Amino acid sequence: MRWNGKTLLWALALVGFILLPQLITVKYYLHLSILALCWVIAAQGQNLIQGYTGYVSIVQAGFMGIGAYSTALMGLHYDLPVWLTILLAPCVTAVFAVLTGYPSLRVKGHYFAVVTLAFNLVIFIVLMNWHDLTQGEAGITGIPKPGGKDSWLNWRDRGTYYYFVLSIAILMTGLAALIVRSRIGQTLIAIRQNEDLVGAIGIAAWKYKLFAFVTSAMYAGLAGAIYAHYQSFINPEIFGVAQSLDAILAVIIGGSGTIAGPVIGAFFVVFLPEYLRFADSFRLILYGLVLVLATIFMPRGIVGVAGDLWAKVKGKPS
Amino acid sequence: MKLTTLTAALALAGTTALAAEKTLDIGVSDALTGGAAVYGLPQANAVKMAAEEINAAGGIKVGDDTYMLNVIAYDDKANPTEASNSVRKLIDRDGVKYILGFCCSGATGAVASFIENEDAVMLVGNAAERSITTREIPNLVRTRPPADYTGAAAGTFVAQKGHKKVAVLGALDIGFYASYVDAFEKELEKAGGEIVTRESFGLKDRDMTPQLTKIRELGPDAILVVGYVEPAAFIYRQAVELGIDVPRFGFTSGSEEQFLRVATSEQMEGVWDLRPTELTLLSASDNGIAYHANYSEKYGIAPSPSSPYAYDQTYALKDAIEAAGTVDDTEAVAAALRELPVPDEVVMQYLPVDGKMFDVNGQAYTSNGAFQWQGGNWVFVQDLPSDAAAYSAFLSTID
Repeated sequence: MRWNGKTLLWALALVGFILLPQLITVKYYLHLSILALCWVIAAQGQNLIQGYTGYVSIVQAGFMGIGAYSTALMGLHYDLPVWLTILLAPCVTAVFAVLTGYPSLRVKGHYFAVVTLAFNLVIFIVLMNWHDLTQGEAGITGIPKPGGKDSWLNWRDRGTYYYFVLSIAILMTGLAALIVRSRIGQTLIAIRQNEDLVGAIGIAAWKYKLFAFVTSAMYAGLAGAIYAHYQSFINPEIFGVAQSLDAILAVIIGGSGTIAGPVIGAFFVVFLPEYLRFADSFRLILYGLVLVLATIFMPRGIVGVAGDLWAKVKGKPS
Repeated sequence: MKLTTLTAALALAGTTALAAEKTLDIGVSDALTGGAAVYGLPQANAVKMAAEEINAAGGIKVGDDTYMLNVIAYDDKANPTEASNSVRKLIDRDGVKYILGFCCSGATGAVASFIENEDAVMLVGNAAERSITTREIPNLVRTRPPADYTGAAAGTFVAQKGHKKVAVLGALDIGFYASYVDAFEKELEKAGGEIVTRESFGLKDRDMTPQLTKIRELGPDAILVVGYVEPAAFIYRQAVELGIDVPRFGFTSGSEEQFLRVATSEQMEGVWDLRPTELTLLSASDNGIAYHANYSEKYGIAPSPSSPYAYDQTYALKDAIEAAGTVDDTEAVAAALRELPVPDEVVMQYLPVDGKMFDVNGQAYTSNGAFQWQGGNWVFVQDLPSDAAAYSAFLSTID
């Protein structure tokens, strides 16, 4: 392996993530880091459909909800082991994604965004109103941690869960990188750049778009499942449209169409609102302002700005 | 001898000074912004006011030490993730062991799911979802009774009024409102009545004329409205505008000021609110009248009827800490809360079970009351049938 600047940065980031629980003295920040890592997984999925394929989907939190509820319900009703339900959750989400993706990918641009927005609303309404299954707004409590009572690891310890989520986030980030570099990934990028041309050379673009949409949903389903077992509680509130917009923002702020972007963006959307708590009722106004300014002045996200700065330092054109 | 006396006096003065300097941080996690702030913000204000009163009266006495309360309040927007974050922050970063507030059920349920594993005590206020106190969480107590406890009493009251066909319009996707209506229906049916329709609205909806038009066509004897204050006020207003002339019953716990932001007093005239006997000036005890006056003076606005749930939490916590004789041992304080008689300073009219404010589930019960809007005010008309001991026994059977 050639150790160029980018590889070195990834290695440093990895070391930083591994050492983080030792560096953090206040466990609250470890809690936020676990939430951020869940969002890294969801945002990597969002990036596949939004950043690489060029289709803005507003249903990522809805798919997280399907993943979260499916793992919880399979565990509670069928007494399946937590590990198995976590693995099955993305598969259940994929089924819903195929059913919704097939019709919605027939439209493009803003229409696709609106259709997916409608799906998120439908998912939210079902979760809220199918009381017998989901327990509605009261939510599902007592969702068990992985490992069970006889586990040699203390899963209630946030450090343990952090390393578990970190491992999954690394795996899923690596998988996203592999997909992007594969022939499929290159086709997705080609669709983003000129879908008509892709069709003109005989490639069935819809298959690739559906692949991106379903894979994106599976990422979200996995993130939702991990979130559910971490919090031990889920209710529909956390899987609404506002949270889908957070997934989109994580990709835009971090850097759309880059692998590092969703990682940075996910930490941004989790930590920034918490750091702005000092502003009390102005907190969300400030958060909105920061996001608007960042989107206007950093259209390529933090990764884009960092790349430009690095190019200037190296004296290369960006 | 003089030197010894002087030294002892200085030591005593030093000890006194040290004792006076001790501060106990207590946390509040509540909806300070957003739609639920009509309940959450008054609760946070009530805790702050109670803390100031306790400090002014000499603080909390624990052995030789005296603790002054310092309130740290965070906004959870009634959102489960936000509530988890704010409580984690209070416990992990701010070192808080006692957390009060909690107006809304979803956010409260999220915190209740992990609080048992924390070295902390959680005191829940206005959140009415029943399952919060059915989980046998030893370090959680709640001052507000569950919604179905009140719903059953309301159903009996409406049936006694002779109404047979009741149309429901409510925020029925919210669990505790649905459970209120379920309990209401059960009692109504016992008396030969029925709910002719259950129409739903979202908490952000403001135009309920489609549902009301449908209800008007069904010709009910009465309407039952359950939901947050603002949408409920719109319903009462729009019902008048549509010419629906049947008794209007509700479960909202809104203050006069909150309703008058949306509807006129004439449009509200005659509306019933069937709820726990919460604060209204005309029904309040001496404590309630003093609370209303002090709150109004301090914040420039009248307190919401449900805000004393949080005020009472603070005094219950004070008494429990003093009874346990420790601020550090949260298990002892949580146990003391379960054994606590109703404190003298509380505003709500609690019905003790076995002489204790909180039952074995950590649940407190108030009496239920029928309030009617008369000439611009909520007027307490009568108590509703409320059997706290029987409900407590029932609550213990729920898993």
